[in-house]
Amino acid sequence: MAVQAASRGGTVYIADVCAASLAAVEASGAAVMTGTGAGSGHVMCATDEVSEELAELQLTLGEGPWPDASAAGGPVLSSDLAAADVAVRWPGFAVAARQAGAAAIFVFPLQIGAIRVGALELYRSRPGPLSTDQLGDALVLADTAVVLLLEGQDRAAGPAGSRPGPGGQPAELALHRAEIDQATGMLTEQLGVGIEEAFVRLRAYAYAEDRRLTEVARDIVARRLRLRPRPGAPGDYVE
Amino acid sequence: MDGRLLSETFVELADTMVVDFDVIDFLHMLTDRSVRLLDASEAGLLLADPRGELRVVAASSERARLLELFQIQSDQGPCLDSFRTGQPVAVADLSAATRRWPRFAPAAQEAGFAAVQALPMRLRDQIIGALNLFRATPGVFDQTDMRVGQALADVATISLLNERSLRRSETLNEQLQTALNSRVTIEQAKGKLAERMQLDMDQAFSVLRRYARTRNVRLSDLARAFVDGSEPLPGLEEPRSG
Repeated sequence: MAVQAASRGGTVYIADVCAASLAAVEASGAAVMTGTGAGSGHVMCATDEVSEELAELQLTLGEGPWPDASAAGGPVLSSDLAAADVAVRWPGFAVAARQAGAAAIFVFPLQIGAIRVGALELYRSRPGPLSTDQLGDALVLADTAVVLLLEGQDRAAGPAGSRPGPGGQPAELALHRAEIDQATGMLTEQLGVGIEEAFVRLRAYAYAEDRRLTEVARDIVARRLRLRPRPGAPGDYVE
Repeated sequence: MDGRLLSETFVELADTMVVDFDVIDFLHMLTDRSVRLLDASEAGLLLADPRGELRVVAASSERARLLELFQIQSDQGPCLDSFRTGQPVAVADLSAATRRWPRFAPAAQEAGFAAVQALPMRLRDQIIGALNLFRATPGVFDQTDMRVGQALADVATISLLNERSLRRSETLNEQLQTALNSRVTIEQAKGKLAERMQLDMDQAFSVLRRYARTRNVRLSDLARAFVDGSEPLPGLEEPRSG
């Protein structure tokens, strides 16, 4: 983990997300993975061996809540791995996961619309559903993990950390605004980049200008602001 | 009221039982139908997410969507009251509602609306969202119309439940999160298309929706493929010339 931390900007903080998940949802273990789990994926951090094994089982077997959550674009919550419908859905994984020590598993895709970076996996050694509050907390943690993973991928955004989002707002609260999504889509065209990088650049610009993400997004949507590709000068591609 | 359109709308509910049904597209259709059936100018639909936030999932226009967003951001308005109390909220004249909603009432009037009605989306003892109807002229919404409006709000709830059983979800929340993320993908696709073809967001949405209909693909799938660039989309791929 320390080696990963040194090689990737955000990894230390991803480990924090894993650790925080344990307390927030009364999980026995947590892991954050990149990739879709369907043939490709990588465990970024895991709080125990069972969590890591659960992720690897899904990669090996090609089935389980991780690939399903990635394909559906929404969480997959399985509060009792011994239930009959689970055995039908994941014949291999259901058995293997219980042998590994899991009785319930909850997987949240790390995503913002078409931006898909991985998944947050939580398991319990006893069966039982998440409460609504626990579900809400898990979703907020997943939002945080998305931002950390994206920033870890692009140095233009600066080092990831526990600092607040652009303009001093909490990082995870900056995500759920349609203007931001529309502006991100517009930037894919303006900058000629993919949706993930467009989002990273939008945030980088807001940081550099110390403005709120929603304000910058609103200016882009209203076509008062255009960003231009100018590699090497992240704060400087305003027109 | 247009009886034929009304029965058509309920028949379309049957379409939500089939696998390729797209809940966001359906909820949009419901807001459009609400406008036409219930003597409204615009309509919007909010859903609560498990983080405790209300989110706009469908609106008959960008103007209605912005006003819904304004309610959420200013933390006041009929949709929020209806969501919190589980009761319908009717305002025949917004100019007399400034004391009740000091920020929302002036903003709604500035957007061109004079009357508003909000209807709760109920699921057993839980309130999961609200349907909002806006009208440009003041006056009481017709009571018979509002019973139909409540039925349409219930249809919206049922469509989410249907999607849930289709996707074998354990809870409605899984489905809700999937729907909300599709909403985000559609907004990203609108932005990309608006920039490429120099359209406004309403136009971009219409183009995407028509494209999905014509080719019989789910709007969410189309939006995702367009944003990813993973599938060739003839007609949406080329920048508009001239």
